[in-house]
Amino acid sequence: VTAIEHVAPRAWRETVAQALLDGERFGGAWASGREGSLAWRALLTSPEGQRVISCQPSERQVESIIDLVEAAGWDEREAHDLHGLAFFGHSPLRALATHLDDPAQWMTPVTGDGVHQVAVGPIHAGVIESGHFRFHVVGERILAVDPRLFYKHRGLERAAEGSDSEGALPYAQRACGACAVANTIAYTHAIETALGLRPDRELRITRTVLLELERLYNHLHDIGAICAGVGFAPGSMAFAALKDRAQQINQRAFGHRFLFGSVRVGRGPVELDASSTDAARGALRELHADTAAAWRELEFAGSVHARLDGVGVLALADAQRLGAVGPAARAAGIREDVRSASPRLAYDGFTPASPAAASGDVAARLRIRAIELETTYELLEGLLMQPLAQGTTAGGGTAATLGVGTVESPRGVTMCAVELDGTRVARMHLRTGSYANWPAVTHAAAGNLLPDFPLINKSFELCYACVDR
Amino acid sequence: MYVLLRQLATIRREAHLSRGRPRSLAIRHVDAGSCNGCEHEFGAVTNPFHDLQRHGLDIVASPRHADILLVTGPVTTRMVGPLLTAYRAMPEPRLVAALGDCALGCNVLGDPAEIVGALEDVLSVNIRIPGCPPTPDAIAEHILAALAQERADHPW
Repeated sequence: VTAIEHVAPRAWRETVAQALLDGERFGGAWASGREGSLAWRALLTSPEGQRVISCQPSERQVESIIDLVEAAGWDEREAHDLHGLAFFGHSPLRALATHLDDPAQWMTPVTGDGVHQVAVGPIHAGVIESGHFRFHVVGERILAVDPRLFYKHRGLERAAEGSDSEGALPYAQRACGACAVANTIAYTHAIETALGLRPDRELRITRTVLLELERLYNHLHDIGAICAGVGFAPGSMAFAALKDRAQQINQRAFGHRFLFGSVRVGRGPVELDASSTDAARGALRELHADTAAAWRELEFAGSVHARLDGVGVLALADAQRLGAVGPAARAAGIREDVRSASPRLAYDGFTPASPAAASGDVAARLRIRAIELETTYELLEGLLMQPLAQGTTAGGGTAATLGVGTVESPRGVTMCAVELDGTRVARMHLRTGSYANWPAVTHAAAGNLLPDFPLINKSFELCYACVDR
Repeated sequence: MYVLLRQLATIRREAHLSRGRPRSLAIRHVDAGSCNGCEHEFGAVTNPFHDLQRHGLDIVASPRHADILLVTGPVTTRMVGPLLTAYRAMPEPRLVAALGDCALGCNVLGDPAEIVGALEDVLSVNIRIPGCPPTPDAIAEHILAALAQERADHPW
């Protein structure tokens, strides 16, 4: 996308409704501009491509679309809190980013015999990011959860405004350490689209290698986290060690355990000569063999699986309704992965993973990661057959004031929208896989036992940092 | 009793006997607004490669059990309250560690209206661990070096 389709505020709902009828999907919404000229935009995607629609709400009021697209709920709440937009029909419009003292302003009202609340966070018992959860329970049974995030809100999007194209990149990166590559590549796709630049084959390959290396250590981490969630120390230690080895490969190949600094706008700052790619491939093969062995051990740990089956179920219909993405969505049976439609990367012929049983529970979310790890190892083996060159971009496309980039992060599709004002970034919006999936976590937790929440939460393993920004 | 202890201390010092293992200390982590990179690395210090516990250091769930408050991230306006609550819940004596460049106030990105400042602006910092994020080895080294220094400054 490079063009914005303007629609009248009263045609907003109608336009979205028609788009959904035509098979388009909601891909995120964001407010843009300052006092007086605030615009409300939404990304619509279809197999044919993407488009951005926009309206200029009068008196900062616009009609809500949450009855059409439940997945837009958080986007509207955020725009209300951070940009002062009001949404007709979104009632009650609960606070998301603003922290209000009055519980009625942000909590689901839950009443009944024996209903009580359990407050957890923002500081948790382990080495975990900060965020608050309010559980409404009867006995040990969760009726509803209200997540209250944005404790780590640093105003990164606002702070990035006014930077030049290279200067805004660190803001996308700093949003999240564990998704740094996905976030920055989504940003570069957006800005390069706006500037009319196309990556050459070398750059596409190098960026794909970086994305897969990021997925590798994250998926290994997430399998270990699920083991930790049921107190299975052999599994959590084995996968923690495998994750560390993956990060050691990152360090040796690209000089950073989280691959920071390996993505730039319009060019690739990193390269690997033949001996380094051989070394990386050798280390990855060993890691692959040891991952397979550790996974086999885990598969035969019956006591672990007894804790995972049927816990935290996200049904297919709910996953679709709530706009779930990534491994969590694929574990529920949505066979979608942005890697299969990534012309700016080197995923030719990619097909999304599908589990044998898309049961949508913790067990399925564990298995899908093991399946995807296999794909990642295969992709890396192929991509590292030859040395990696820095790569560059070629101009020639039409320059525009808007660009949208989408990338499959370890947690699902991450969308970055960039709006330019001359050479300056006027607006940068990041909607990560974690952001899309938080409503699914709360849905999957309802009806389960409170002590299973950490396990359910870890099976999604969403970032707080890239939601809070 | 006090005299006996002092004599014992003198004998140990003259015989160049250490007090044995470094004093075992418990660490409570608080994320005051980090990017999650420091959390990953601080989690990794307990993995089989780095094994922080072998140095007598352990990560605990409650600030009431902690000797060191280890803080990551620049301090956001929404986390300063919970951070100070955790600090006040700790028994004395207590140490404060700043983990990572953000907590140290280096190259912090964000809207100034949302960030209170570096950890130093909120609490006095005893242990500084630079890096973006600091590697697990660097984390262990810095904490151990700071504790060795602490022992040198206050032998008994």
